Amino acid sequence: VPGFAAGGSGIDGDVSIMAASISGYTFSSVCFHSANSNSDHEGFLLGEVRQEETVSISDTQISTAELLQVVEIHNHDPCAQLFSFYDYAGKVNEDNLNRILKDRRKSVIGWYRFRRNTQQQMSFREQIIHKQLTQLLGVPDLVFLLFSFISTANSSTHALEYVLFRPNRRYNQRITLTIPNLGNTSQQEYKVSSVPNTSLNYAKVIKEHGAEFFDKDGVMKDIRTIFQVYSALQDKVQAVCGEVEQSERVKEKIQEDVNKLKQQIALRKRKTAEEERRLREAQNAESHPTSEENSEPSETSLLSRVAFHAPSAPERPGTSPNPPSYSDLLSQEDSLLSSSSSPTSAALLPRPQAVGSPGHPTPGPLGMGLGLSLGLGSDSLDRQAAGQEDDDDDDDDDDDDDEDSSEYENLVSEAAHLPMVSASVLAQGRPAALSPDGDARGSQTS
Amino acid sequence: DWLCSQTLLHAGAEREMKQLIMQRSAVHLESDAFLVCMNHALSTEKEEVMGLCIGEVEINRIVHIHSVIILRRSDKRKDRVEISPEQLSAASTEAERLADMTGKPMRVVGWYHSHPHITVWPSHVDVRTQAMYQMLDQGFVGLIFSCFIEDKNTKTGRVLYTCFQSVQAQKGSEYERVEIPVHVVPRDAIGKVCLESAVELPRILCQEEQDTYRKIHNLSHLDPITKIHNGSNRPNRPIRVLG
Repeated sequence: VPGFAAGGSGIDGDVSIMAASISGYTFSSVCFHSANSNSDHEGFLLGEVRQEETVSISDTQISTAELLQVVEIHNHDPCAQLFSFYDYAGKVNEDNLNRILKDRRKSVIGWYRFRRNTQQQMSFREQIIHKQLTQLLGVPDLVFLLFSFISTANSSTHALEYVLFRPNRRYNQRITLTIPNLGNTSQQEYKVSSVPNTSLNYAKVIKEHGAEFFDKDGVMKDIRTIFQVYSALQDKVQAVCGEVEQSERVKEKIQEDVNKLKQQIALRKRKTAEEERRLREAQNAESHPTSEENSEPSETSLLSRVAFHAPSAPERPGTSPNPPSYSDLLSQEDSLLSSSSSPTSAALLPRPQAVGSPGHPTPGPLGMGLGLSLGLGSDSLDRQAAGQEDDDDDDDDDDDDDEDSSEYENLVSEAAHLPMVSASVLAQGRPAALSPDGDARGSQTS
Repeated sequence: DWLCSQTLLHAGAEREMKQLIMQRSAVHLESDAFLVCMNHALSTEKEEVMGLCIGEVEINRIVHIHSVIILRRSDKRKDRVEISPEQLSAASTEAERLADMTGKPMRVVGWYHSHPHITVWPSHVDVRTQAMYQMLDQGFVGLIFSCFIEDKNTKTGRVLYTCFQSVQAQKGSEYERVEIPVHVVPRDAIGKVCLESAVELPRILCQEEQDTYRKIHNLSHLDPITKIHNGSNRPNRPIRVLG
């Protein structure tokens, strides 16, 4: 990444204009990964930054040299989950960063984030992370690409908005991002008529030199050559396609295995929890002989609670059309449910319709489980206005009661408004963790 | 008179009911098919691109799109996105191949096209074209991808997509758009069919280019300089796409 040529105080002093572009394939790929993600999605932008100098002459000056900084985004490196290289306070972990980027680190020119139903401005945490990335990666004008997804109330129309920021500048922080395509690359049209020329000399010269361009069939020689280049390229792309297909199948298989293992772990945890409960209740029964009539309802609550917990493992839960009855859960002793009673009801609130849906069918919020509601705090705070996130590190358990339902937007969708989901949709595993925070903090269900 | 008006009412109600029954409740678009649509839509801002959607219809009237086929535009005039019968037939063959491969009953369930620099809503022509397709298959759905849109004030770029069908209030009246919910369904990995479709794009562009060039080349009245100009012009597009 080149440094800055102009004098002055570096970034702020330079009034160079910036032009940015992203390849259509990279853009579509980011959309693809974002669509696959239940929560926010982020990653790094790889590419090249170069400076072009344009000299112009005007009446007032002999020549003005304008520095045009050109940012080209060639590729992206999606992060498998949130908080993979930073923590809740927004502190970037350089080791994790290196582990994610590996040798691609030198091509990083920016990073991106995809969020649903949020404003087109950087959150406080994003700003903090950006500053650290700028320093760690040594890219003075690191860019940040923000994707925001919104939908109409009936989910028939969806919009993906994108803004490219250069936050390290004081002015003109937003840059236009173009997507080069066949329509805007300068290509002249075919000419269907010629300028008439009846000069004999002209005809003679053309005839003599024409042979160099045309072969015996009257076809341009270059055409054949270029077609050969194209064929070779197409064959290569075909071959790569085959390789990608194989690796995608391997990836699918691995994801299936991971899902199966996660199911087994959840099952095992459930069994252990059940055994512990039984032991404890057996002990209680010994010390309080009159509480035996409570043991049965406790069992019921245990089962309903456990059944509610199990699907919160990071896999798609099965369709559970009816929520477990809360009278069962809430009427039990506090020792069973102390940390979870209030967030439970919050987790079941239908998502506010006005701001739209994440754009994919999911079962009702009930499938999310209690564990999720406890870990949601930090990421959702991203969506508040900058400056309000000074208590990121506080224990989220207490804050959950006060958080409004808009935090759940990215995880919980309104089952009432969505069409019925077929089992095949649900059977597919998910690449991203269901809860953005669950994996980073450790599931609350354990 | 009363009997006539009752008959008309019934006829209208019947049509409405038929339309409602065939109207899709929602469209589920697999994310890898979505990827191909996006790639295709973003490949050019100068003209509208189009393709066909292949998938299956579930009992609850939900259309599940598993993959898309990129089509060649026979008429490149703006806002003309008709599909030739040969292409429809080829698409059906492809659907059969998919059905064999996946073991699911696949068929052509809809079409998509792009609106570069234009609002995402279907034009009158689009609504009429959609209505025409619905005459062959009442459950046919239409998708539109709008791209290369920018709000100059906020430097915000936008890509939109919408799903619609056409409905006719009464016999002889104008066709109207009906909004159909559409959701992108996540997938763990990109399916084989979608990868193949993505690779088809440069090949189709090359074919289009060859056809155009052949027509130009056959214009014998062009002098050599013009031919050289056209010749140097010609084959870059497919290479650029592959690049």
